[in-house]
Amino acid sequence: MDRYFNSPVSWGHVGIFALEAIAALAVVIVFVTYAIYFERKVIGWMQFRIGPNRTGPLGLLQTVADVAKLLLKEDTIPARADKALFILAPALAFVPSFLVLAIIPYGLHLPFADLNVGFLYYIALSGVTTIAIVVAGWASNNKYALLGGMRSAAQMISYEVPLVMSIVGVTMMTGSLNLREVVLHQTGYFWHWNFIPQILGFAVFVVAAVSELNRTPFDLPEAESELVAGYHVEYSGFRFAFFMLSEYIYMYAIACLATILFLGGWNPPFPQLDFIPGLIWFALKFAVIVFFLFWIRATLPRLRVDQLMGMAWKVLLPLAILNIFLTALGIEWWG
Amino acid sequence: MLTFNVDWSGEFFAFFLLAVCAIAGAVLAVNFTKVVHTALSMAFTFVSLAGLFILLRAEFVAFVQVLLYVGAVTILMIFGIMMTKHQDEGKEAGRPLQETLAAIGCLCLFGILFYAIRSAGFPAPADPLPGDNTMAIGKELYTGYAIPFELVSVLLTVAFVGAVALAKREEAEES
Repeated sequence: MDRYFNSPVSWGHVGIFALEAIAALAVVIVFVTYAIYFERKVIGWMQFRIGPNRTGPLGLLQTVADVAKLLLKEDTIPARADKALFILAPALAFVPSFLVLAIIPYGLHLPFADLNVGFLYYIALSGVTTIAIVVAGWASNNKYALLGGMRSAAQMISYEVPLVMSIVGVTMMTGSLNLREVVLHQTGYFWHWNFIPQILGFAVFVVAAVSELNRTPFDLPEAESELVAGYHVEYSGFRFAFFMLSEYIYMYAIACLATILFLGGWNPPFPQLDFIPGLIWFALKFAVIVFFLFWIRATLPRLRVDQLMGMAWKVLLPLAILNIFLTALGIEWWG
Repeated sequence: MLTFNVDWSGEFFAFFLLAVCAIAGAVLAVNFTKVVHTALSMAFTFVSLAGLFILLRAEFVAFVQVLLYVGAVTILMIFGIMMTKHQDEGKEAGRPLQETLAAIGCLCLFGILFYAIRSAGFPAPADPLPGDNTMAIGKELYTGYAIPFELVSVLLTVAFVGAVALAKREEAEES
């Protein structure tokens, strides 16, 4: 970071920044496009359907067509809505979701922001998206949207707590919040990865993360059967696309973070397999987690709204605190 | 006194941008009439301040600032506003005398602060900052400052229990 701080600003630097940002955006958009395709296919297969198969070979262009449709749609703004906030909210939701990607170390030598607060950065910025969701619900001037926004804020604030607590164990074992240090600490065989000594923390992390992503079984903010569509009822066209995009980018970020924090990042499961580049291992673990998210979406029913908060405060939080104690005892006894 | 020797480094640009954003957010927060807009522009100021902390190499403080002030305090405020009020309140009638006095007071304060900052010398710190200053903060907190830290956590727990007790009592009275 310092090299950009202290050197004089030139158009070259601006160009480099812009190019890097566009490259990251391109990767993410390709991911999102095919994550949606993959999700629909996987859920289709699990329900004995075929899934999208008409647009393009094997239906590969289905999402592209859907996005094109969204971009060409009429952009409606409700007459009684708070116009400025209604327009601002999708951008406010998207910007932090994209900023979160800056700190993810895909490999040992790939450039990324080497920040010493690591996971805290993700949690801090995802809070900004919560504001955007609440504001979107409020600005729409629609009862269902407001209810969705409220539920979303309550849920995301509550589940942030166990999410942060669940990674304290990992931080204690590593002795650093830095994501790169976390991965370097897990070098070795696959039983050196954090998910075995931190199995409790990993379980809490996965549940809280699914809830943070507002995905089934925690998709109460957009429960179709109760709230029409949730906080984005009134949104259409590319503003709606922005909400969807930021949701999928968060899924990308959470899958990356789970890979880094608990599944050893770019480390191969056996050091003998070192000849395969770390990026491929990272991508494989990442894909497994993304598949897992689709899988639970296809199989689990939605939680009832009155059980949701109890789950966070009475189940996950005590478990996360127990995990911290156990980790502390483990470090004390076995070093 | 008024010598501005500025090198156009990236740090200067970032500082300038963030400072303008922070001030703009604060000014808008005062000027907006809708309370939700005010809360949001305050959040904008908080984010800009976090950016300034990063410029000072205080990443931990910066992200805790975003986490607590933007993520928690602002959402709580917006939540409270939405739960309680839906009508816009009307604009108050202007009070010229008070406004003039307030403007004079603000200008004086600005003058004093500007003079003080311009005439103050900022000595360079004796030893350089540790590379991983988040870790340094953690170590200090749990070794040198363990007792104050524990006292603060007891205070927070007391406040927390008190808040729950108060909320519970209101609920009991209603039923």
